[in-house]
Amino acid sequence: MTPSRRAAAFLGAVALLSAVATAPAAGQSLFDRLRQAASVARTLLPISTEKEIEIGRGIAATIAGRFPVSTDAGLTRYVNLVGLTVASQAPRGDITYRFAVLETPIVNAYAAPGGYIFITKGSLDLIRSEAELAGVLAHEVGHVNRRHVIEQIRKSDTMREVKNTLDLQGFVLDRVVGTGANALFTGLSRGDEMEADSLGLEYASSAGYDPGGLAAFIGRLDQHAGEGPVSEFFATHPKPNERVDRLNSIARREGLPGGVMLADRYRATVGH
Amino acid sequence: MTRAHNLARLLPALALLGSAAPGRAVAQRAQWTDVVYVPGRWSAGHIVAQADSLALMMRVDYFSAPPKWRAEIRRTTDGQTLGSPEILVGSGEQAVVVTQLGTTPLDQHALGRDPLVRALVVFDQAGRRKGLANGRITDRAADGKVARVVFRREIRNPSFDSALLDPGNRAGGRTLLASGIAAVGDQRSASVVATAGARGVDRVKTPGGDVPVRPDTMAVVRMEHFSVGSVALEEFLRAGGLGPYAAPGDSAGRRP
Repeated sequence: MTPSRRAAAFLGAVALLSAVATAPAAGQSLFDRLRQAASVARTLLPISTEKEIEIGRGIAATIAGRFPVSTDAGLTRYVNLVGLTVASQAPRGDITYRFAVLETPIVNAYAAPGGYIFITKGSLDLIRSEAELAGVLAHEVGHVNRRHVIEQIRKSDTMREVKNTLDLQGFVLDRVVGTGANALFTGLSRGDEMEADSLGLEYASSAGYDPGGLAAFIGRLDQHAGEGPVSEFFATHPKPNERVDRLNSIARREGLPGGVMLADRYRATVGH
Repeated sequence: MTRAHNLARLLPALALLGSAAPGRAVAQRAQWTDVVYVPGRWSAGHIVAQADSLALMMRVDYFSAPPKWRAEIRRTTDGQTLGSPEILVGSGEQAVVVTQLGTTPLDQHALGRDPLVRALVVFDQAGRRKGLANGRITDRAADGKVARVVFRREIRNPSFDSALLDPGNRAGGRTLLASGIAAVGDQRSASVVATAGARGVDRVKTPGGDVPVRPDTMAVVRMEHFSVGSVALEEFLRAGGLGPYAAPGDSAGRRP
């Protein structure tokens, strides 16, 4: 038995014992409680990096199915260069980061597990500098590094069918991918978004970008509130003014020094 | 002395160790990147003299928990690509080269004959880094001419497995250059990647309601095949004053 399976077995046993030890609800038999405990234990199953990448590939295919991926090689190259620059500050070395642009006016960005990161053309149209782009991509790298979508999947009902990670294939895997894609498109938790903001600020700033990039972009979105292309962003993220205040507060508290904005390089490459 | 008495003496000592050691170890860990240049420029696989020009020679990723350290060296022999990592593991000023067959002291290895590699041992006897945490370092020869220029950038919150500092660990390249630039998809055929693993789903929830989608696995394959190249990334960083090339005054790599 591997250490991770031992840990899962141990946690499962703890969940089982605690469920059985607690007072039963009215009409609930011991077997009901055991079944309930077993389902709780199953959600604790670890998901390996390899499986995370496999799930991420399916979610990425779904994202690319909703919005076409740009074939503009120059733009894709630039977004990859900025993305890799901030990702180099991220502690996960078991992930290959890949970045792509989605051809849609909707303003948003998506981070599928395993390092598949997308930003929409609508976002690029609103961004004014490389530091802002770096902030957005670094935020997405933060989601990947903290495995936010994978954790959503682990807590989901879909995982009740999964007795061990070997079950994560075929039809079950597709359902898991659906759960992850739905989580991405309907929005992650407020806590996940705030954590990704903090990490994004750290990665972009450590790479040498101005730490105000992400806050500047989010603040600009606030000016477009009520417009169609930003409605999905507002529906899936915490309030912009709250995020901006928090980001500025972290930057002040940490004493993050100024970095580069690179607005000219952004304009020259993205073309506005 | 009874066994219980012994245990009573041992427990406070263990508690002391437990409370003191981790804090100290975490505080000392460091991770940074050096990018090493020499005067001149690359031309047809050789360095030729050129005033006011620097030629990229290597990128080195350091992991340090004094007195132990590790350096992953990626050298270029043409100015176009960076090679596979060569690994030095050290304790204080002593270094060994880690190979597939085992370890060899740097002094006895071919790498040790390269003065640029020997200069990578930037540690004192206690394994503490000598020199700047961030910024540009210029080394001059005895005649005063510039011998090499190093751009150094420290990672703000180092996070690496201590096993990296073990000379028996030959698994290199946990850093960006190994994992993020040369796409793994390059090693597989598109058809294999397209059919492997999850396929995606044909309907998703959005804030505006359910929408149909047609999963595009080939788009993912194209993402996996897209590669920007390690030297291109280095040029991008340098041109933008990012990463190791950030001005020390703009450096967020230092701790606030």
